[in-house]
Amino acid sequence: MDAVLQCTGLRRAFGELKAVDDVSFEVGAGETYGLLGPNGAGKTTAISMVAGLLATDGGEILVAGEVMTPRASAAKRHVGLVPQELAIYPDLTARENLDFFARLYGMDKGGRANRIDRVLEVIGLADRAGDRAGEYSGGMKRRLNIGIGLLHEPRLLILDEPTVGVDPQSRNSILASVEDLATDGISVLYTTHYMEEAERLCDRIGVIDRGRLVAEGTRRELVSRIGEQDVVRMKVVGDASAAAAACESVEGVGSSDAEGDEVVCLMDAAAGRLPALLAAVGTSGASVAGVQVREPDLEDVFLHLTGNALRD
Amino acid sequence: MSPAVGPAVGTVLAISRVELIRMLRERSNLFFVFVLPLLLVVFIGLQFGGTAGTPVGVVGDGAATDELVELLDEQGGVNVTRVDDADELEDLVSRGNLGGGVVVGEGYGAALAAAEPFTIGFVARPDSASMSLRTVVEAAVAEHAAASQAARHVADVTGLEASTLVDLADDVRGEVATVTVTAAEVGGDALAEEFAGLGQFDLGASGQLFLFVFLTSLAGSAALIQTRQYGVAARMMSTPAPTPVVLAGLAGGRLAVALFQALYIIVVTTVGFDVDWGDPLATGVLVLLFCVVAAAAGMLLGSVARNDAQASGAGVGIALVAAALGGSMMPLEFFPEGMRQIALLTPHGWANTAMAEIVRRDGGVADVAVELGVLAAIAVVLTALATVTLRRAIVR
Ligand SMILES: Nc1ncnc2c1ncn2[C@@H]1O[C@H](COP(=O)(O)OP(=O)(O)OP(=O)(O)O)[C@@H](O)[C@H]1O
Ligand SMILES: [Mg+2]
Repeated sequence: MDAVLQCTGLRRAFGELKAVDDVSFEVGAGETYGLLGPNGAGKTTAISMVAGLLATDGGEILVAGEVMTPRASAAKRHVGLVPQELAIYPDLTARENLDFFARLYGMDKGGRANRIDRVLEVIGLADRAGDRAGEYSGGMKRRLNIGIGLLHEPRLLILDEPTVGVDPQSRNSILASVEDLATDGISVLYTTHYMEEAERLCDRIGVIDRGRLVAEGTRRELVSRIGEQDVVRMKVVGDASAAAAACESVEGVGSSDAEGDEVVCLMDAAAGRLPALLAAVGTSGASVAGVQVREPDLEDVFLHLTGNALRD
Repeated sequence: MSPAVGPAVGTVLAISRVELIRMLRERSNLFFVFVLPLLLVVFIGLQFGGTAGTPVGVVGDGAATDELVELLDEQGGVNVTRVDDADELEDLVSRGNLGGGVVVGEGYGAALAAAEPFTIGFVARPDSASMSLRTVVEAAVAEHAAASQAARHVADVTGLEASTLVDLADDVRGEVATVTVTAAEVGGDALAEEFAGLGQFDLGASGQLFLFVFLTSLAGSAALIQTRQYGVAARMMSTPAPTPVVLAGLAGGRLAVALFQALYIIVVTTVGFDVDWGDPLATGVLVLLFCVVAAAAGMLLGSVARNDAQASGAGVGIALVAAALGGSMMPLEFFPEGMRQIALLTPHGWANTAMAEIVRRDGGVADVAVELGVLAAIAVVLTALATVTLRRAIVR
């Protein structure tokens, strides 16, 4: 059994709301697994249970073979959590923040110093280690936030939307360091609502929406769910929903959804059928302002599976 | 003991340590924790310990006046200066340069020797501080005149020569403890008696100790809220540290802050202001218990307040009101009876009562057992309450 994380039938509700509903997945040794879903999909709730912060309503979590619950000290040793919101003391320096959490992980004095130096290098804060975290840029704070999760060399690193609210440059460096970590053999559970990040980083992706895992697989597997279809994106002037409904009757169209002022159709052999599509939009009373045809990506997969856009 | 105890203690200390470091780093704390307590110790010292350190002018010449000046000086830190004449004295007093003045007219020495009645003038502004000053002066004068008065009595009864008796009485006086004579003579003013022999800053110091320990603990509860707001508290729960250990660490942090503030005030006032803190054991236990109460109150506030601004605002308000009611701003002895009962609704009331016993009446642990017991009970209840609410606030 080489799965570092096994979740089976995870459930958690807040009142009436089923934030996570019967979610099962596995993360293998050295694998980077992405949970891709829009805001409120249940990503943070799911990983909070995996990290032992939140009790489950049902289901089982095994980390490196040990059962994870909020009281499971042994299982928590295997997990490094990087919360979505920064969780650092701004009035302490980077080194002090790291030292504090190293103590909480019960690392001894000698081991702490070496490991902290190493982590500071990895997150690129070695030369600013003595400055208070409150004075750091947003990207530096994020990197420190990640560094804390790496300290005790966990088997499983959980990153919850680590690039949200980060400038493009820092974002890139964060993604690069996650790639490096994966190369080093650590297992990563990565949540995001950015399709590009999931595509770039993750070996396998679980698509999550409204608490349910709606699909799972490699990028290639997920995209092939749509089949050998093309994506036609039309910018329309008028009622996009009505236009999308009208397009469904066109021959070869698999699915047709409105996304803002656009209509997105998945269809076979789009090239020969564009005139029919444009005509259908016309009959709905709307008119087409622009057309784009391309190969499908995860964004389209999500739309196809849920009828919703990944981003608002 | 289970093998987990060692690491658990390490974790508790790690969390407590960080909370203390953060308190010391907060810049606005520097003034409130380090400077303000000392300012207030001095201020209260001048206000209520006033008789002790008040500058008093004395007009008069001769050996008898010198003796009186010496006695006045011994009255517990009254600061005596010699002034040339009565006009200058009145001037200095009315301008506030002197707290009061004593005018010893011609023939004081002769009157004492002959055991004749003699009037000494007292000059002061019409305020309450002057009243206590006057009792101090009266005490000194009474002590000085004790031999003479005794001689007068004996002379009246026996018909012997008064001046001979004065000499005799003076000889005897050297062998009798003068303190007893003073106490007997001053007996009329209980307040003055209560505070006699106190150093100038003793009074302010203990009151301020409790005020600031409580204030710093409650206002410092903002740091606990930040620990929650920063997400660090939640993150601690993702480490192997068990919840009770994290809670103990956060509680320990509050206690460390309270103890730090207490130790700072005790050390600095002992070294810098020569304050007498009484029996070390009794004071130690009292201060420790009070710190636990303050820390628990801070933890409770830090668990129920919504944000750090609310916590420090409410904290300062509660701390000042409790301190005022509990006799930390003005000695409880100055309170009317009803207010003294109300004072006992605050931990300060009990602590200040105990401190008065320890410092002014040389009380030991046994003498303040009731106060210590009450504070211990408050500490237990508040700590339990605070632990439950904090647990709720950080465990989901
Ligand atoms: N403590 C809570 N109490 C009540 N409802 C909650 C709580 N935490 C989460 N929810 C709800 O559960 C749902 C899932 O939230 P969750 O934070 O897991 O989503 P997410 O996928 O992480 O979203 P985002 O991308 O915005 O971070 C949301 O509808 C949210 O409002
Ligand atoms: Mg989230």
